[in-house]
Amino acid sequence: MSGNRGPHRKGHYSKHRNDKAKVGDKGREVLEQIDDNNPVIKMFKEYGAELDTKHDRHERIVKISRDITIESKRIIFLLHSAATDLEHKREQIFNEADLRLNQLIEKSFKGIALELEDHDPYLYLRAYTAGVQEFIEALLYYQFLRYGEIQPSQNLCEKFKYMIPILPKGNDNTEVMEISNREVVMVIPLTEFFLGMADFTGELMRRCINNLGSGNIDDCFRICNYVKDIYMGFLSINSSGYKEIGRKIYILKQSLLKMEYVCYNIQVRGSEIPKHMLATVINANNAEVNNEEDEGYY
Amino acid sequence: MSNIIMTEIFTSFQDYLHSEQNVREEIRNIVKEIEKNAREILTVLQIIHQENGAQQTSSSCLKARQLFEEVRENYKKLSAIVPSGQYYRFNDHWRYVTQRLCFLAALTVFLEVGILVSINTVAEILGVKVQASEGFHLDLEDYLMGLLQLCSELARFAVNSVTSGDYNRPLEISKFVGELNAGFRLLNLKNDSLRKRFDALKYDVKKIEEVVYDLSIRGLKPGSASTEATTE
Repeated sequence: MSGNRGPHRKGHYSKHRNDKAKVGDKGREVLEQIDDNNPVIKMFKEYGAELDTKHDRHERIVKISRDITIESKRIIFLLHSAATDLEHKREQIFNEADLRLNQLIEKSFKGIALELEDHDPYLYLRAYTAGVQEFIEALLYYQFLRYGEIQPSQNLCEKFKYMIPILPKGNDNTEVMEISNREVVMVIPLTEFFLGMADFTGELMRRCINNLGSGNIDDCFRICNYVKDIYMGFLSINSSGYKEIGRKIYILKQSLLKMEYVCYNIQVRGSEIPKHMLATVINANNAEVNNEEDEGYY
Repeated sequence: MSNIIMTEIFTSFQDYLHSEQNVREEIRNIVKEIEKNAREILTVLQIIHQENGAQQTSSSCLKARQLFEEVRENYKKLSAIVPSGQYYRFNDHWRYVTQRLCFLAALTVFLEVGILVSINTVAEILGVKVQASEGFHLDLEDYLMGLLQLCSELARFAVNSVTSGDYNRPLEISKFVGELNAGFRLLNLKNDSLRKRFDALKYDVKKIEEVVYDLSIRGLKPGSASTEATTE
Protein backbone atom coordinates (compact mmCIF):
# COMPACT_ATOMS: atom_id res chain seq x y z
CA MET A 1 0.00 0.00 0.00
CA SER A 2 2.81 2.36 0.83
CA GLY A 3 4.24 1.58 -2.59
CA ASN A 4 1.11 2.97 -4.18
CA ARG A 5 1.03 5.99 -2.04
CA GLY A 6 4.66 6.88 -2.46
CA PRO A 7 4.75 8.29 -5.98
CA HIS A 8 1.44 9.96 -5.55
CA ARG A 9 2.59 11.81 -2.51
CA LYS A 10 5.82 12.74 -4.14
CA GLY A 11 4.02 14.23 -7.09
CA HIS A 12 1.78 16.18 -4.83
CA TYR A 13 4.69 17.47 -2.87
CA SER A 14 6.61 18.82 -5.83
CA LYS A 15 3.52 20.56 -7.12
CA HIS A 16 3.01 22.06 -3.74
CA ARG A 17 6.56 23.40 -3.73
CA ASN A 18 6.08 25.20 -7.01
CA ASP A 19 2.91 26.79 -5.72
CA LYS A 20 4.60 27.98 -2.65
CA ALA A 21 7.33 29.81 -4.46
CA LYS A 22 4.80 31.62 -6.58
CA VAL A 23 2.62 32.64 -3.69
CA GLY A 24 5.59 33.77 -1.66
CA ASP A 25 6.72 36.18 -4.37
CA LYS A 26 3.32 37.65 -4.85
CA GLY A 27 2.76 37.86 -1.13
CA ARG A 28 5.92 39.88 -0.67
CA GLU A 29 4.86 42.21 -3.41
CA VAL A 30 1.55 42.81 -1.72
CA LEU A 31 3.23 43.33 1.63
CA GLU A 32 5.57 45.94 0.18
CA GLN A 33 2.70 47.88 -1.29
CA ILE A 34 0.84 48.10 1.96
CA ASP A 35 1.89 50.83 4.31
CA ASP A 36 1.32 51.01 8.03
CA ASN A 37 -1.56 53.42 7.70
CA ASN A 38 -3.67 50.96 5.80
CA PRO A 39 -6.91 50.58 7.77
CA VAL A 40 -6.77 46.79 7.56
CA ILE A 41 -3.23 46.70 8.95
CA LYS A 42 -4.21 49.10 11.73
CA MET A 43 -7.17 46.90 12.60
CA PHE A 44 -5.04 43.78 12.72
CA LYS A 45 -2.42 45.40 14.91
CA GLU A 46 -5.12 45.91 17.50
CA TYR A 47 -6.33 42.35 17.14
CA GLY A 48 -2.77 41.08 17.46
CA ALA A 49 -2.27 42.96 20.69
CA GLU A 50 -5.48 41.50 22.10
CA LEU A 51 -4.53 37.96 21.13
CA ASP A 52 -1.07 38.38 22.67
CA THR A 53 -2.53 39.57 25.96
CA LYS A 54 -4.74 36.53 26.10
CA HIS A 55 -1.98 34.09 25.21
CA ASP A 56 0.41 35.63 27.72
CA ARG A 57 -2.14 35.36 30.51
CA HIS A 58 -2.77 31.77 29.52
CA GLU A 59 0.94 30.98 29.68
CA ARG A 60 1.37 32.61 33.07
CA ILE A 61 -1.50 30.55 34.47
CA VAL A 62 -0.09 27.35 32.97
CA LYS A 63 3.19 28.07 34.71
CA ILE A 64 1.56 28.49 38.11
CA SER A 65 -0.56 25.42 37.50
CA ARG A 66 2.55 23.37 36.80
CA ASP A 67 4.08 24.48 40.09
CA ILE A 68 0.90 23.44 41.88
CA THR A 69 0.99 20.02 40.23
CA ILE A 70 4.58 19.37 41.27
CA GLU A 71 4.09 20.51 44.86
CA SER A 72 0.86 18.50 45.17
CA LYS A 73 2.60 15.36 43.99
CA ARG A 74 5.31 15.91 46.55
CA ILE A 75 2.73 16.31 49.29
CA ILE A 76 1.10 13.06 48.25
CA PHE A 77 4.45 11.34 48.37
CA LEU A 78 5.03 12.77 51.81
CA LEU A 79 1.66 11.48 52.97
CA HIS A 80 2.41 8.02 51.68
CA SER A 81 5.35 7.92 54.03
CA ALA A 82 2.98 8.60 56.93
CA ALA A 83 2.22 4.91 57.14
CA THR A 84 4.40 4.68 60.18
CA ASP A 85 3.18 3.40 63.50
CA LEU A 86 4.93 6.11 65.44
CA GLU A 87 2.20 8.43 66.60
CA HIS A 88 4.29 11.57 66.98
CA LYS A 89 6.02 11.14 63.67
CA ARG A 90 2.72 10.75 61.88
CA GLU A 91 1.42 13.88 63.52
CA GLN A 92 4.50 15.71 62.33
CA ILE A 93 3.95 14.62 58.75
CA PHE A 94 0.31 15.64 58.86
CA ASN A 95 1.22 19.06 60.16
CA GLU A 96 3.75 19.56 57.43
CA ALA A 97 1.30 18.45 54.74
CA ASP A 98 -1.33 20.79 56.14
CA LEU A 99 1.12 23.67 56.10
CA ARG A 100 2.21 23.02 52.53
CA LEU A 101 -1.35 22.66 51.30
CA ASN A 102 -2.24 25.98 52.86
CA GLN A 103 0.80 27.56 51.32
CA LEU A 104 -0.46 26.46 47.92
CA ILE A 105 -3.80 28.10 48.62
CA GLU A 106 -2.20 31.27 49.92
CA LYS A 107 0.41 31.68 47.22
CA SER A 108 -0.08 29.79 43.98
CA PHE A 109 -3.87 29.77 43.86
CA LYS A 110 -3.95 33.38 44.86
CA GLY A 111 -1.72 34.07 41.87
CA ILE A 112 -4.17 32.38 39.54
CA ALA A 113 -7.11 34.13 41.18
CA LEU A 114 -5.46 37.49 40.57
CA GLU A 115 -4.77 36.63 36.94
CA LEU A 116 -8.39 35.63 36.49
CA GLU A 117 -9.85 38.67 38.18
CA ASP A 118 -12.37 40.30 35.84
CA HIS A 119 -11.90 37.50 33.34
CA ASP A 120 -14.01 34.54 32.48
CA PRO A 121 -12.38 31.65 34.37
CA TYR A 122 -13.79 29.13 31.93
CA LEU A 123 -11.75 30.69 29.14
CA TYR A 124 -8.58 29.75 31.00
CA LEU A 125 -9.83 26.61 32.69
CA ARG A 126 -7.72 24.39 30.48
CA ALA A 127 -4.63 26.23 31.67
CA TYR A 128 -5.12 25.36 35.32
CA THR A 129 -7.29 22.25 35.39
CA ALA A 130 -4.30 19.91 35.85
CA GLY A 131 -3.02 21.83 38.85
CA VAL A 132 -6.43 22.01 40.47
CA GLN A 133 -7.08 18.30 40.08
CA GLU A 134 -3.73 17.33 41.52
CA PHE A 135 -4.23 19.72 44.42
CA ILE A 136 -7.65 18.31 45.22
CA GLU A 137 -6.22 14.84 45.07
CA ALA A 138 -3.55 15.80 47.62
CA LEU A 139 -6.04 17.65 49.82
CA LEU A 140 -8.58 14.82 49.93
CA TYR A 141 -5.86 12.28 50.62
CA TYR A 142 -4.65 14.38 53.49
CA GLN A 143 -8.16 14.76 54.90
CA PHE A 144 -8.82 11.08 54.59
CA LEU A 145 -5.60 10.00 56.30
CA ARG A 146 -5.94 12.45 59.14
CA TYR A 147 -9.68 12.44 59.78
CA GLY A 148 -10.86 9.33 57.96
CA GLU A 149 -13.34 11.45 56.00
CA ILE A 150 -13.26 13.93 53.19
CA GLN A 151 -14.93 17.30 53.33
CA PRO A 152 -17.52 18.46 50.84
CA SER A 153 -16.48 20.92 48.18
CA GLN A 154 -18.36 23.81 49.79
CA ASN A 155 -15.79 23.99 52.56
CA LEU A 156 -13.11 24.23 49.94
CA CYS A 157 -14.70 27.18 48.19
CA GLU A 158 -14.52 29.16 51.40
CA LYS A 159 -10.77 28.85 51.38
CA PHE A 160 -10.46 30.18 47.88
CA LYS A 161 -11.64 33.66 48.71
CA TYR A 162 -8.95 36.22 49.08
CA MET A 163 -9.15 39.67 50.52
CA ILE A 164 -6.89 42.01 48.64
CA PRO A 165 -6.33 45.36 50.27
CA ILE A 166 -6.89 48.29 47.96
CA LEU A 167 -4.03 50.67 48.29
CA PRO A 168 -5.26 54.21 48.80
CA LYS A 169 -4.26 56.54 46.02
CA GLY A 170 -3.27 60.18 46.16
CA ASN A 171 -1.87 62.20 49.02
CA ASP A 172 -2.12 61.00 52.55
CA ASN A 173 -4.63 62.89 54.53
CA THR A 174 -4.21 63.50 58.19
CA GLU A 175 -7.01 61.17 59.00
CA VAL A 176 -6.25 57.52 59.25
CA MET A 177 -7.65 55.92 56.16
CA GLU A 178 -9.76 52.87 56.37
CA ILE A 179 -8.22 49.98 54.60
CA SER A 180 -10.76 48.66 52.18
CA ASN A 181 -10.59 45.19 50.75
CA ARG A 182 -11.78 43.73 47.56
CA GLU A 183 -12.64 40.09 47.39
CA VAL A 184 -11.06 37.94 44.73
CA VAL A 185 -12.44 34.47 44.29
CA MET A 186 -10.65 31.54 42.78
CA VAL A 187 -13.35 29.80 40.79
CA ILE A 188 -13.13 26.03 40.75
CA PRO A 189 -15.93 24.40 38.80
CA LEU A 190 -17.48 21.55 40.71
CA THR A 191 -16.58 19.09 37.98
CA GLU A 192 -12.91 19.74 38.73
CA PHE A 193 -13.47 18.73 42.34
CA PHE A 194 -14.86 15.39 41.27
CA LEU A 195 -12.16 14.78 38.72
CA GLY A 196 -9.65 15.32 41.51
CA MET A 197 -11.66 13.01 43.72
CA ALA A 198 -11.49 10.23 41.13
CA ASP A 199 -7.70 10.61 41.08
CA PHE A 200 -7.69 10.48 44.85
CA THR A 201 -9.01 6.92 44.76
CA GLY A 202 -5.84 5.96 42.89
CA GLU A 203 -3.84 7.03 45.92
CA LEU A 204 -6.18 5.04 48.14
CA MET A 205 -5.47 1.95 46.11
CA ARG A 206 -1.74 2.45 46.46
CA ARG A 207 -2.26 2.97 50.16
CA CYS A 208 -4.33 -0.17 50.41
CA ILE A 209 -1.63 -2.30 48.82
CA ASN A 210 1.12 -0.69 50.88
CA ASN A 211 -0.88 -1.42 54.02
CA LEU A 212 -0.91 -5.02 53.09
CA GLY A 213 2.87 -4.97 52.94
CA SER A 214 3.10 -3.51 56.40
CA GLY A 215 0.55 -5.99 57.71
CA ASN A 216 -2.13 -3.41 58.40
CA ILE A 217 -4.95 -5.65 57.25
CA ASP A 218 -7.90 -3.85 58.87
CA ASP A 219 -7.05 -0.71 56.99
CA CYS A 220 -7.23 -2.57 53.68
CA PHE A 221 -10.87 -3.41 54.27
CA ARG A 222 -11.66 0.07 55.49
CA ILE A 223 -10.10 1.74 52.45
CA CYS A 224 -11.70 -0.72 50.08
CA ASN A 225 -15.14 -0.01 51.51
CA TYR A 226 -14.52 3.69 51.28
CA VAL A 227 -13.67 3.46 47.62
CA LYS A 228 -16.78 1.35 47.10
CA ASP A 229 -18.82 4.26 48.46
CA ILE A 230 -17.11 6.68 46.12
CA TYR A 231 -17.62 4.40 43.15
CA MET A 232 -21.28 4.05 44.03
CA GLY A 233 -21.52 7.83 44.18
CA PHE A 234 -20.03 8.18 40.73
CA LEU A 235 -22.44 5.60 39.38
CA SER A 236 -25.37 7.51 40.81
CA ILE A 237 -24.66 10.65 38.80
CA ASN A 238 -25.60 11.20 35.22
CA SER A 239 -22.27 11.87 33.57
CA SER A 240 -23.39 11.66 29.97
CA GLY A 241 -21.75 14.40 27.97
CA TYR A 242 -18.73 14.60 30.26
CA LYS A 243 -16.11 12.46 28.64
CA GLU A 244 -13.48 13.22 31.21
CA ILE A 245 -15.63 11.94 34.07
CA GLY A 246 -16.48 8.76 32.20
CA ARG A 247 -12.82 8.07 31.64
CA LYS A 248 -12.01 8.58 35.31
CA ILE A 249 -14.85 6.33 36.39
CA TYR A 250 -13.35 3.60 34.27
CA ILE A 251 -9.95 3.98 35.94
CA LEU A 252 -11.66 4.14 39.31
CA LYS A 253 -13.31 0.84 38.63
CA GLN A 254 -9.99 -0.76 37.73
CA SER A 255 -8.49 0.43 41.02
CA LEU A 256 -11.49 -0.81 42.93
CA LEU A 257 -11.34 -4.25 41.33
CA LYS A 258 -7.70 -4.47 42.32
CA MET A 259 -8.52 -3.64 45.92
CA GLU A 260 -11.44 -6.02 46.07
CA TYR A 261 -9.17 -8.74 44.87
CA VAL A 262 -6.72 -7.86 47.63
CA CYS A 263 -9.45 -8.14 50.24
CA TYR A 264 -10.59 -11.41 48.77
CA ASN A 265 -7.08 -12.81 49.02
CA ILE A 266 -6.72 -11.73 52.59
CA GLN A 267 -9.95 -13.50 53.43
CA VAL A 268 -9.15 -16.67 51.55
CA ARG A 269 -5.47 -17.13 52.23
CA GLY A 270 -5.13 -15.08 55.40
CA SER A 271 -4.74 -18.19 57.51
CA GLU A 272 -2.38 -19.98 55.15
CA ILE A 273 0.60 -17.69 55.00
CA PRO A 274 2.13 -15.10 57.29
CA LYS A 275 0.72 -11.64 56.81
CA HIS A 276 3.87 -10.02 55.50
CA MET A 277 4.08 -12.63 52.75
CA LEU A 278 0.60 -11.87 51.51
CA ALA A 279 1.68 -8.70 49.79
CA THR A 280 4.15 -10.53 47.58
CA VAL A 281 1.59 -13.10 46.56
CA ILE A 282 -1.11 -10.57 45.79
CA ASN A 283 1.16 -8.18 43.96
CA ALA A 284 2.31 -11.03 41.77
CA ASN A 285 -1.29 -11.89 40.96
CA ASN A 286 -2.24 -8.31 40.35
CA ALA A 287 0.60 -7.84 37.93
CA GLU A 288 -1.01 -10.43 35.75
CA VAL A 289 -4.48 -9.00 36.00
CA ASN A 290 -3.47 -5.42 35.58
CA ASN A 291 -0.94 -3.84 33.37
CA GLU A 292 -2.42 -0.40 33.54
CA GLU A 293 0.16 2.35 33.52
CA ASP A 294 1.00 4.03 36.77
CA GLU A 295 1.36 7.77 36.80
CA GLY A 296 4.23 7.65 39.26
CA TYR A 297 5.15 10.40 41.63
CA TYR A 298 8.08 12.62 42.30
CA MET B 1 -25.22 4.29 50.43
CA SER B 2 -23.79 3.65 53.81
CA ASN B 3 -21.67 6.75 53.96
CA ILE B 4 -23.85 9.79 54.65
CA ILE B 5 -21.25 12.41 53.84
CA MET B 6 -20.51 10.73 50.55
CA THR B 7 -24.20 10.64 49.68
CA GLU B 8 -24.49 14.35 50.35
CA ILE B 9 -21.44 15.14 48.30
CA PHE B 10 -22.73 13.27 45.31
CA THR B 11 -26.27 14.55 45.61
CA SER B 12 -25.04 18.12 45.38
CA PHE B 13 -22.95 17.15 42.37
CA GLN B 14 -25.95 15.60 40.66
CA ASP B 15 -27.95 18.77 41.27
CA TYR B 16 -25.14 20.81 39.80
CA LEU B 17 -24.91 18.65 36.70
CA HIS B 18 -28.65 18.60 36.33
CA SER B 19 -29.01 22.37 36.29
CA GLU B 20 -26.09 22.65 33.90
CA GLN B 21 -27.70 20.19 31.54
CA ASN B 22 -30.91 22.20 31.63
CA VAL B 23 -29.12 25.37 30.66
CA ARG B 24 -27.34 23.53 27.86
CA GLU B 25 -30.64 22.22 26.57
CA GLU B 26 -32.09 25.73 26.37
CA ILE B 27 -28.96 27.02 24.67
CA ARG B 28 -29.08 24.25 22.11
CA ASN B 29 -32.64 25.14 21.17
CA ILE B 30 -31.78 28.76 20.52
CA VAL B 31 -28.59 27.89 18.68
CA LYS B 32 -30.67 25.70 16.38
CA GLU B 33 -32.70 28.77 15.47
CA ILE B 34 -29.58 30.81 14.85
CA GLU B 35 -28.19 28.04 12.66
CA LYS B 36 -31.39 28.18 10.65
CA ASN B 37 -30.98 31.95 10.19
CA ALA B 38 -27.38 31.47 9.13
CA ARG B 39 -28.38 28.91 6.51
CA GLU B 40 -30.98 31.25 5.12
CA ILE B 41 -28.53 34.12 4.83
CA LEU B 42 -25.99 31.86 3.18
CA THR B 43 -28.54 30.73 0.61
CA VAL B 44 -29.60 34.27 -0.14
CA LEU B 45 -26.04 35.39 -0.72
CA GLN B 46 -25.24 32.47 -2.99
CA ILE B 47 -26.81 34.55 -5.75
CA ILE B 48 -23.42 36.16 -6.35
CA HIS B 49 -22.14 32.95 -7.90
CA GLN B 50 -24.98 32.81 -10.42
CA GLU B 51 -24.71 34.13 -13.90
CA ASN B 52 -26.15 37.63 -13.96
CA GLY B 53 -25.97 37.56 -10.20
CA ALA B 54 -24.35 40.97 -10.16
CA GLN B 55 -27.63 42.81 -10.75
CA GLN B 56 -29.28 41.08 -7.86
CA THR B 57 -26.42 41.51 -5.42
CA SER B 58 -27.73 44.64 -3.77
CA SER B 59 -31.21 43.24 -3.35
CA SER B 60 -29.89 40.04 -1.77
CA CYS B 61 -27.72 42.11 0.56
CA LEU B 62 -30.89 43.87 1.66
CA LYS B 63 -32.54 40.54 2.23
CA ALA B 64 -29.55 39.37 4.25
CA ARG B 65 -29.75 42.50 6.35
CA GLN B 66 -33.37 41.69 7.12
CA LEU B 67 -32.45 38.20 8.15
CA PHE B 68 -29.74 39.53 10.46
CA GLU B 69 -32.60 41.19 12.28
CA GLU B 70 -33.79 37.74 13.39
CA VAL B 71 -30.24 36.77 14.27
CA ARG B 72 -30.06 39.73 16.62
CA GLU B 73 -33.30 38.66 18.27
CA ASN B 74 -31.95 35.16 18.84
CA TYR B 75 -28.62 36.34 20.23
CA LYS B 76 -30.58 38.51 22.60
CA LYS B 77 -32.40 35.43 23.87
CA LEU B 78 -29.13 33.57 24.13
CA SER B 79 -27.47 36.29 26.14
CA ALA B 80 -30.39 36.22 28.56
CA ILE B 81 -29.81 32.54 29.33
CA VAL B 82 -26.04 32.41 29.61
CA PRO B 83 -25.03 33.48 33.12
CA SER B 84 -22.67 36.44 33.18
CA GLY B 85 -19.02 35.51 33.43
CA GLN B 86 -19.67 32.01 32.14
CA TYR B 87 -19.57 32.70 28.41
CA TYR B 88 -16.75 30.25 27.82
CA ARG B 89 -18.35 27.53 29.89
CA PHE B 90 -20.99 27.09 27.21
CA ASN B 91 -19.56 28.71 24.11
CA ASP B 92 -18.91 25.39 22.37
CA HIS B 93 -22.58 25.42 21.46
CA TRP B 94 -22.58 28.66 19.50
CA ARG B 95 -18.95 29.03 18.50
CA TYR B 96 -19.32 27.43 15.10
CA VAL B 97 -22.46 29.24 14.05
CA THR B 98 -21.03 32.53 15.28
CA GLN B 99 -17.98 32.06 13.08
CA ARG B 100 -20.27 31.40 10.16
CA LEU B 101 -22.30 34.52 10.88
CA CYS B 102 -19.11 36.59 11.09
CA PHE B 103 -18.28 35.32 7.63
CA LEU B 104 -21.76 36.18 6.35
CA ALA B 105 -21.69 39.64 7.89
CA ALA B 106 -18.24 40.27 6.40
CA LEU B 107 -19.42 39.07 3.00
CA THR B 108 -22.47 41.31 3.11
CA VAL B 109 -20.38 44.34 3.98
CA PHE B 110 -17.84 43.48 1.29
CA LEU B 111 -20.57 43.25 -1.32
CA GLU B 112 -22.12 46.50 -0.17
CA VAL B 113 -19.09 48.74 0.17
CA GLY B 114 -16.03 46.62 -0.62
CA ILE B 115 -14.21 47.09 2.67
CA LEU B 116 -13.14 44.80 5.49
CA VAL B 117 -15.63 44.86 8.30
CA SER B 118 -14.29 45.53 11.80
CA ILE B 119 -15.11 43.37 14.80
CA ASN B 120 -17.15 46.23 16.24
CA THR B 121 -19.40 46.34 13.20
CA VAL B 122 -19.88 42.58 13.17
CA ALA B 123 -20.78 42.65 16.85
CA GLU B 124 -23.32 45.35 16.02
CA ILE B 125 -24.79 43.31 13.18
CA LEU B 126 -25.14 40.29 15.45
CA GLY B 127 -26.43 42.38 18.32
CA VAL B 128 -23.73 41.35 20.79
CA LYS B 129 -21.09 43.25 22.73
CA VAL B 130 -17.46 43.64 21.74
CA GLN B 131 -15.83 43.46 25.17
CA ALA B 132 -16.22 40.41 27.36
CA SER B 133 -16.66 42.69 30.37
CA GLU B 134 -19.83 44.15 28.87
CA GLY B 135 -21.70 40.86 28.67
CA PHE B 136 -22.42 38.41 25.91
CA HIS B 137 -19.76 39.31 23.38
CA LEU B 138 -18.16 38.34 20.11
CA ASP B 139 -14.98 36.37 20.59
CA LEU B 140 -12.07 37.79 18.62
CA GLU B 141 -10.94 34.39 17.40
CA ASP B 142 -14.42 33.57 16.14
CA TYR B 143 -14.43 36.81 14.19
CA LEU B 144 -11.02 36.01 12.67
CA MET B 145 -12.21 32.52 11.75
CA GLY B 146 -15.13 34.15 9.96
CA LEU B 147 -12.75 36.32 7.94
CA LEU B 148 -10.80 33.25 6.85
CA GLN B 149 -14.02 31.62 5.71
CA LEU B 150 -14.74 34.79 3.77
CA CYS B 151 -11.48 34.41 1.83
CA SER B 152 -12.46 30.95 0.62
CA GLU B 153 -15.80 32.25 -0.52
CA LEU B 154 -14.16 35.16 -2.32
CA ALA B 155 -11.79 32.80 -4.13
CA ARG B 156 -14.82 31.05 -5.52
CA PHE B 157 -16.47 34.38 -6.24
CA ALA B 158 -13.42 35.52 -8.25
CA VAL B 159 -13.70 32.49 -10.53
CA ASN B 160 -17.44 32.90 -11.03
CA SER B 161 -17.17 36.64 -11.65
CA VAL B 162 -14.94 35.96 -14.60
CA THR B 163 -17.41 33.43 -15.92
CA SER B 164 -20.17 36.00 -15.87
CA GLY B 165 -17.93 38.52 -17.56
CA ASP B 166 -17.05 40.75 -14.63
CA TYR B 167 -13.28 41.21 -14.99
CA ASN B 168 -13.08 43.97 -12.42
CA ARG B 169 -14.20 41.94 -9.44
CA PRO B 170 -11.20 39.57 -9.28
CA LEU B 171 -8.82 42.51 -9.05
CA GLU B 172 -10.83 43.99 -6.23
CA ILE B 173 -10.89 40.63 -4.48
CA SER B 174 -7.18 40.13 -5.00
CA LYS B 175 -6.36 43.43 -3.32
CA PHE B 176 -8.81 42.77 -0.51
CA VAL B 177 -7.56 39.29 0.28
CA GLY B 178 -3.95 40.42 -0.11
CA GLU B 179 -4.45 43.01 2.60
CA LEU B 180 -6.23 40.54 4.78
CA ASN B 181 -3.39 38.08 4.36
CA ALA B 182 -0.88 40.76 5.30
CA GLY B 183 -2.99 41.51 8.35
CA PHE B 184 -3.07 37.90 9.50
CA ARG B 185 0.70 37.75 9.22
CA LEU B 186 0.92 40.34 11.97
CA LEU B 187 -0.73 38.02 14.46
CA ASN B 188 1.19 35.68 16.71
CA LEU B 189 -0.92 32.61 16.32
CA LYS B 190 -0.58 29.69 18.66
CA ASN B 191 -0.73 26.18 17.33
CA ASP B 192 -4.51 26.08 17.54
CA SER B 193 -7.48 25.81 15.20
CA LEU B 194 -7.15 29.42 14.07
CA ARG B 195 -3.58 28.78 13.04
CA LYS B 196 -4.60 25.73 11.06
CA ARG B 197 -7.34 27.62 9.32
CA PHE B 198 -4.92 30.45 8.55
CA ASP B 199 -2.50 27.98 6.98
CA ALA B 200 -5.20 27.15 4.44
CA LEU B 201 -5.48 30.82 3.46
CA LYS B 202 -2.54 30.59 1.08
CA TYR B 203 -4.51 28.27 -1.18
CA ASP B 204 -7.28 30.85 -1.49
CA VAL B 205 -4.71 33.55 -2.18
CA LYS B 206 -3.13 31.38 -4.84
CA LYS B 207 -6.45 30.66 -6.50
CA ILE B 208 -7.27 34.35 -6.74
CA GLU B 209 -3.82 35.17 -8.09
CA GLU B 210 -4.23 32.56 -10.77
CA VAL B 211 -7.48 34.16 -11.87
CA VAL B 212 -5.85 37.59 -12.01
CA TYR B 213 -2.92 36.09 -13.91
CA ASP B 214 -5.23 34.49 -16.46
CA LEU B 215 -6.96 37.81 -17.00
CA SER B 216 -3.79 39.84 -17.42
CA ILE B 217 -2.04 37.39 -19.72
CA ARG B 218 -5.00 37.51 -22.08
CA GLY B 219 -5.31 41.23 -21.90
CA LEU B 220 -8.66 41.04 -20.18
CA LYS B 221 -7.55 43.07 -17.22
CA PRO B 222 -9.55 46.31 -17.25
CA GLY B 223 -7.43 49.40 -17.79
CA SER B 224 -4.39 47.54 -19.06
CA ALA B 225 -2.78 48.51 -22.38
CA SER B 226 -3.73 45.31 -24.16
CA THR B 227 -7.40 45.75 -23.29
CA GLU B 228 -7.37 49.14 -24.89
CA ALA B 229 -5.59 47.69 -27.91
CA THR B 230 -8.29 45.08 -28.43
CA THR B 231 -11.12 47.52 -28.01
CA GLU B 232 -9.67 49.91 -30.55
